[in-house]
Amino acid sequence: MTDTTIPRGNALPRIRPWLGIAAAASFVVASVMALFWAPTDAVQGDVYRILYVHVPLAWLAYLAFVVVFLASVGWLWTKRPFFDAVAVASAEIGVLFTGLFLVAGSIWAKPTWGVWWTWEPRLVTTAIMFVMYVGYLLLRGLSTDFSRRATRSAVFGIIAVIDVPIVHLSVLWANSLHQLPTVLRAGGSPALDSSMLLTLMVSLGAYTLIYAYFMTARVSLEIARQVRLWTT
Amino acid sequence: MALVAVRELRAERRQPDGVVAAVTFIAVLVLLESLVVGPQIARDPDVASALFWLALAFATILATMRSFDRELEDDALEGLVALPGGRDALFGGKVLSLTIVLLLVAVVGGVLSLVLLDLRIALPLHLLVVVLLGVLALPPIVVVDVVLALRLRARAALVPILALPVLVPQLVAATRGTSAALSGDAVGALSWAGLLFAFAVVYTVIGLTIVPAAIE
Repeated sequence: MTDTTIPRGNALPRIRPWLGIAAAASFVVASVMALFWAPTDAVQGDVYRILYVHVPLAWLAYLAFVVVFLASVGWLWTKRPFFDAVAVASAEIGVLFTGLFLVAGSIWAKPTWGVWWTWEPRLVTTAIMFVMYVGYLLLRGLSTDFSRRATRSAVFGIIAVIDVPIVHLSVLWANSLHQLPTVLRAGGSPALDSSMLLTLMVSLGAYTLIYAYFMTARVSLEIARQVRLWTT
Repeated sequence: MALVAVRELRAERRQPDGVVAAVTFIAVLVLLESLVVGPQIARDPDVASALFWLALAFATILATMRSFDRELEDDALEGLVALPGGRDALFGGKVLSLTIVLLLVAVVGGVLSLVLLDLRIALPLHLLVVVLLGVLALPPIVVVDVVLALRLRARAALVPILALPVLVPQLVAATRGTSAALSGDAVGALSWAGLLFAFAVVYTVIGLTIVPAAIE
């Protein structure tokens, strides 16, 4: 078994209330902007407003799994339990947000494409990413020894991140029903009205703060669990 | 690495249950395919290719799990890991030996598919290249996942859950490449073969870099 060190006290509980307040406030602002301030889309009407939830959820899914990757590298490199706590927290939150991302996509697809689900590259690769990280959590759940669990899941966390660019670029690689990237476009500025773009950016900021808040809460819980594990 | 691979192949020759299970599995699936979807649809290059590669992916999982089970039954894993460069050699040797075993399984499964489904091959050499590179692209990921699930309860269920989503790009590339070779699209077949080669290299390098850390 690999030597590990018991994590020391951390600053997360102190910053969490402030993050919570900032996340809640920005979420309210983003929701008001998305529902009332942003103009109605000329083609899709009000249905398009789900974009202000769907795109931030997609961003958070990517972010969460990239954080799992970085924390996994951190664990394998240093064997500091903090990295394992970050990896499990981000994976759980990432699975939650990917699930919501799929649901929000389905809700948008029904009025737009006429179906809740279609075998389209972006949808399928996202569903595969979801299953992959459910597998990651299963792998963690079935391992009992702390160090082995952290190492095994870190290795899988590094391999699984390859799906993130595949999901993002699937709309470019294959004939896709899904809308092409409108903000991060290879050949130019965002193809979005300025007020829509501002609303989207505020939504992205708000959801990122929500992710950060969830992370501080879950990482604190995991560190407390690790301390309890080593002191009993 | 070569020593581990030779040792593995000898063990497989003495007790070929991994190969037998994989070949039987792929044969059963080819037979079931034409029964379930009907001979006309089963002969479609896309359908036949997809089923062949899905069957081969499951056969890879079966053969790899059997290979590691044998090590656990004989308490041989600790000995292998204790050798100088043991972890790297264990991963590389397993991948190498499984690739050879899978080539055999792919040849048998491929011949069965061609004969039973009466498939026409438009580009035999291209098909050979795609199958060879497709077989190279499967074992690295499956060996990684079997190592990760080693000694865990419910690992028979866990390994496919971990491996199949990661194998999706390889399976898509292998299926499209095989279908292209069967239907005479030379450029398509070679493009997909190139992608398969890239996957094989990337996952072997990743495996050699991080998997030794996961072998206790």
